[in-house]
Amino acid sequence: MTEQVIPTKKMPPGLQVENVDDRIMTLNVGPQHPGSGHMRIIVKIDGDYIVDADPDPGYVHRGEEKMAESRNYITNIPHLERPVIHDSCNILYPYVLGVEDLVGIEVPERAKYVRVIAAELNRCIYIQYWLAIYGIFLGHSTMFMWPAGDRELLIDLMEKITGARVTHAYFIPGGVRNDVPANFEDVCLRQVNYFEKRIKEYADIFYDNPILKARTEDTGVLSREDAIRLGTTGSVLRASGVDYDLRIKEPYDVYDELDVHTNVLKSGDSYARSKIPWLDMLESCNIIRQALEKMPKSGSIRTKLKPNPKGREDEVYRRVESGRGSAGCHIISRGKPEPYRLKLSVSSFRNLIALPYLLKGEKLGNMPAVYWSLNYWPVEADR
Amino acid sequence: MGTATGIIKALNSGIKHLAVKRFTLRYPEQKLKFVGDGYQFDPASGVAIAGLKGRHMLFHDHCTGCQLCSIACEGVAEAIAMVKVPDKWGQNAKSIMPQIDYGKCVFCGLCVDACPFYALYMSNDYELSSFTKEGLIYTPAQLQVKPQVQQDSELIIDKRGARHG
Repeated sequence: MTEQVIPTKKMPPGLQVENVDDRIMTLNVGPQHPGSGHMRIIVKIDGDYIVDADPDPGYVHRGEEKMAESRNYITNIPHLERPVIHDSCNILYPYVLGVEDLVGIEVPERAKYVRVIAAELNRCIYIQYWLAIYGIFLGHSTMFMWPAGDRELLIDLMEKITGARVTHAYFIPGGVRNDVPANFEDVCLRQVNYFEKRIKEYADIFYDNPILKARTEDTGVLSREDAIRLGTTGSVLRASGVDYDLRIKEPYDVYDELDVHTNVLKSGDSYARSKIPWLDMLESCNIIRQALEKMPKSGSIRTKLKPNPKGREDEVYRRVESGRGSAGCHIISRGKPEPYRLKLSVSSFRNLIALPYLLKGEKLGNMPAVYWSLNYWPVEADR
Repeated sequence: MGTATGIIKALNSGIKHLAVKRFTLRYPEQKLKFVGDGYQFDPASGVAIAGLKGRHMLFHDHCTGCQLCSIACEGVAEAIAMVKVPDKWGQNAKSIMPQIDYGKCVFCGLCVDACPFYALYMSNDYELSSFTKEGLIYTPAQLQVKPQVQQDSELIIDKRGARHG
């Protein structure tokens, strides 16, 4: 042990003096490092083993919640999908459901089905993007190219429905903004079937690959009790053996009319956490096919809304299952066209709390495998 | 499954793709075909018509200078400014029309939803790059021009995989 360093003058804010230990080294992973995303993980290592990890999010905080207080219920829509542009339908879903409660409008049956299809397509788009990143950080460059390419199939489909490739701004209180194009059912079915065939091929090259299994199995194990105690959600929770999916537990729109299955794995390691989203994509394809079959062939798509709708004096909390887990939106209304307070409860931030527990005792080389398996999206966590 | 078999299966899965057609859209030569002529809105039914949300199309003979598009954009991107136009139109007493700054526009289409006079649509034109910031500001005269687009490439799915042709 070296002598303790005593600062002679007051340190500027944010800086701290650390006692130098000859065994423990502090390492900043990020915020510029591509392996961390827009966040920093302060890792303390002893040789090659992590003794302590401290995630430090907040680098892309954009104040979406505060901005929502000065905008009306409609102009909030393009802003509130910015936290996760790749999953923009699902992050907007709880807000739209909440505003419908506050304004008090009914949604046409056909619009509900279109919303479910758009949300499931968006979930697949998000998971493909995440899978591409997960692949490349494990050094598997084919697994970067394949999902990034196959994702285009669904992006083209979303572009046909909504007119935008990534930020759709498609859901609106009262339904959706435009009807699906002509012969959409056939095009969607064809592309989703091909997409499903493609993602089934990932099993051979990635999920059954012994190299991946050696890298991810038994790393970052989260037990069932810890997963519940830490309040994790989505794929992290289901990988630890808890059967919890809001599409079944609290069905919104028409999920109660569809046959939805959840995928649960018991092991709770990085491998299980990376496999659950892939199984979710296969399930999403099933849901889309069912919704296309049951969707009313014609009918209204949007209930007309007054130009500047006022919410009643109330507060409402709605949540949906997004690509990463439960995404909630709490809106407090004071009878004005703008929300008084809007709070997003996002799954990325809830899953991040598990990271220090998972990294303790792991090798530093396994850090990307554990960190990315949390299905974490830094921009969403910061809002 | 043994380690060796697993690795061979994984390699085999990749090698099979040598026979699969290339999926990549070769962009400047090929351009993807979109649904319809762009995103449009029908104020009578209150429902929009599906289409790409690209560069706007302004119909001078319909625009009344009511500023509703500009108000709709205020909370989103503040990309629309109302400017004076030289020509006189009967329905447009103040002779003001929207000018759109594509450096700010997020292509959400809420301005199109706000227009009650069928004056503002969005077109299939998405190639808006410019060397200067001023070049991204489109005046009402520029927005009037119908874009020339050659988009004919479609997605083909057959036994040998998906490709653009």
